[in-house]
Amino acid sequence: MDVLLQLLFTGLGIGAIYAMVSLGFVLLIRAAGVVNFGQGEFSMLGAYLLVVFFNVLGLPYLLGMALAIVIMAGFGVVFAYATYWPLRFRGGLPVIISTIGASIFLENMVLVLYGPSSVQIDGLFDAPGIQVGPVFMDSQYLSILVIAALLVTLQYFIFEKTLLGKKLQATSQDKEMASLLGIPVVTMVMITFAYSAAMGGLAGMLVAPILFVSVNMAGAIALKAFAANIIGGYGSIPGAILGGLALGVVETLGAAYISVPYKDAFAFLMLLLFLLVRPQGLFGERIAEKA
Amino acid sequence: MQITRRRALGAAAAAGTFAIVGRARAEDTLKIGVVSPLTGPVVEPGRIQLNSLRIATDQVNEAGGILGRKVELIVEDDQSSNPGAVLAFSRLAEHDDIVAFIGSIRSTQMKAMAPDMLKAAKPVMFGGTDPSLTHLGNPWLFRCRPNDSYSARVMTNFCLTSLKLSKIALVHSTDAFGTGGEKALLGNLDKAGVALVLDQGYANNQPDFTPVVLAVKSSGAEVLTSYFTNEPDCAVFARQLRQLGVRIPWVGSYSVISPVTRGLAKNALFGTYGIADFAEDANPTAKALGAAYRTRFNASPDNGWTYDAMKVLAHAINTANSTDAAKIREAILAIRKFPGAEGEFNFDENGDGLHGYNIVVNNNGAAEFKEHIEFTD
Repeated sequence: MDVLLQLLFTGLGIGAIYAMVSLGFVLLIRAAGVVNFGQGEFSMLGAYLLVVFFNVLGLPYLLGMALAIVIMAGFGVVFAYATYWPLRFRGGLPVIISTIGASIFLENMVLVLYGPSSVQIDGLFDAPGIQVGPVFMDSQYLSILVIAALLVTLQYFIFEKTLLGKKLQATSQDKEMASLLGIPVVTMVMITFAYSAAMGGLAGMLVAPILFVSVNMAGAIALKAFAANIIGGYGSIPGAILGGLALGVVETLGAAYISVPYKDAFAFLMLLLFLLVRPQGLFGERIAEKA
Repeated sequence: MQITRRRALGAAAAAGTFAIVGRARAEDTLKIGVVSPLTGPVVEPGRIQLNSLRIATDQVNEAGGILGRKVELIVEDDQSSNPGAVLAFSRLAEHDDIVAFIGSIRSTQMKAMAPDMLKAAKPVMFGGTDPSLTHLGNPWLFRCRPNDSYSARVMTNFCLTSLKLSKIALVHSTDAFGTGGEKALLGNLDKAGVALVLDQGYANNQPDFTPVVLAVKSSGAEVLTSYFTNEPDCAVFARQLRQLGVRIPWVGSYSVISPVTRGLAKNALFGTYGIADFAEDANPTAKALGAAYRTRFNASPDNGWTYDAMKVLAHAINTANSTDAAKIREAILAIRKFPGAEGEFNFDENGDGLHGYNIVVNNNGAAEFKEHIEFTD
């Protein structure tokens, strides 16, 4: 039982990481109708910015994080102008290819600047964690769980309860109609990219003390976060959270009780099962052609 | 300036002369082909290996070169991948005037290139430690690092004899390096009549090792052994191992003691033992390489196999007094008691030059040479 509790805590911690990155995907899907395969690179860039502010410049940790979030938001707008804006009338696929190209460019740019070696960075707290009964709770996993919960609440509030959220959703559903209604479509799309990049960067900063900072740190996580997005329901905020958490728990328990080397396979087996049995995911709506 | 016919002819003649001089100079050199990661994720260790190789090449040239000719390195990028390595070697193999090659430290890349190396039929010095590489029926492969059967033997001896602990757990990567190490350790333990209490594989690049750590914890092991391929994986595992309260001694392959892992895992690795092919304090040649490296690159080397590869090749070709591949091969196989930075070279009939390892201990973050264990049988 002790082992199971420890595994559940770790699975939820890893799942929260997937969920946070998945939220970045969902934002852009909902507000701009774009699948951004550079989402993992947003996380990597955020982590490197924290390395620069905290490790190199010696700024206080939280100030470094705040500065990195602001810079990532600005970078999101630049990213949108470079990858999305020139192709916005050409459908989804060219934008997807464009974001893949940008992600390769960003990876190689960081490789040139910082090299391939991983960089160690401290966590939010000095203490490694707390022992609660038989379970050791890593302080960074705890931080991720708490911050992920806060972000979910914030994101849900913005999308469902504010005028800005309604405008963002309207822009996603029909840009022409939104424009006719006086919604500044360009501003809405840029806000979404900025928020998504900031969110991705924050996820990277939170993961960095666990995985270390490297060019490849977010590749596998972004892939699983996208799988979590499909499992939870394409474009669904609660789906992204639940899908991410479920994925983390399933692969951790699968590794512990069935096979460690096939740990990654459990996540993608789960994705395959959902695609076969419930393609709309946990919270997605069944898509049907209009008559 | 106006271009006249006379000026143009003059320029063409000058260019032709330079080309002839350049070709003559190129023909005067003795060419060694090198497969090295110039791009991709393992570019950093590749750079250190290339630096050590350049130090050895310069020393050989300063001492008169090989057969009186200066050594010239022809380096091709393996892009840190197997397809990249195969492409790089095929490019080198097109040069008829290359006398010998220096291959990869990665066993998986060596396996990928081995068929083309057999076709090229010229000596290849390499650093991959998978024991099977010198048993592929390829007579042109010569290893300049001790293979994993020796690291496993040192690991076994150190656990059973020095630490006097026989309940052993093993954590290893499921790639060629990790499974090679696993097989070698199992073979050695079997000879000693000891069975592992846990044999746990894992796939590379994991963000979390909790299931592995819990398996170690519940196995009842007195000592942990490991073959980690990637240093960040080793560091993540080390931190979680200590967080979850596992404090048993840990004897690992080189990744547990490498500067990168020590830098990432910090105090989680204090007190661990690493089986290292290169340790600066292990012998005078290693000390001299360390000093030369620091003078030239302002850093310390973490290996010496490319340095040794060049020195062994120079010695063998000079001894053979020929660039004929078969004669060089015979000369390499005849090498005995040749002092290298990685140890004393005594080539066996399979092409393995080294037969021992160093044990290094992590003393509050610094890697300290403990002892060298050499096998003669």
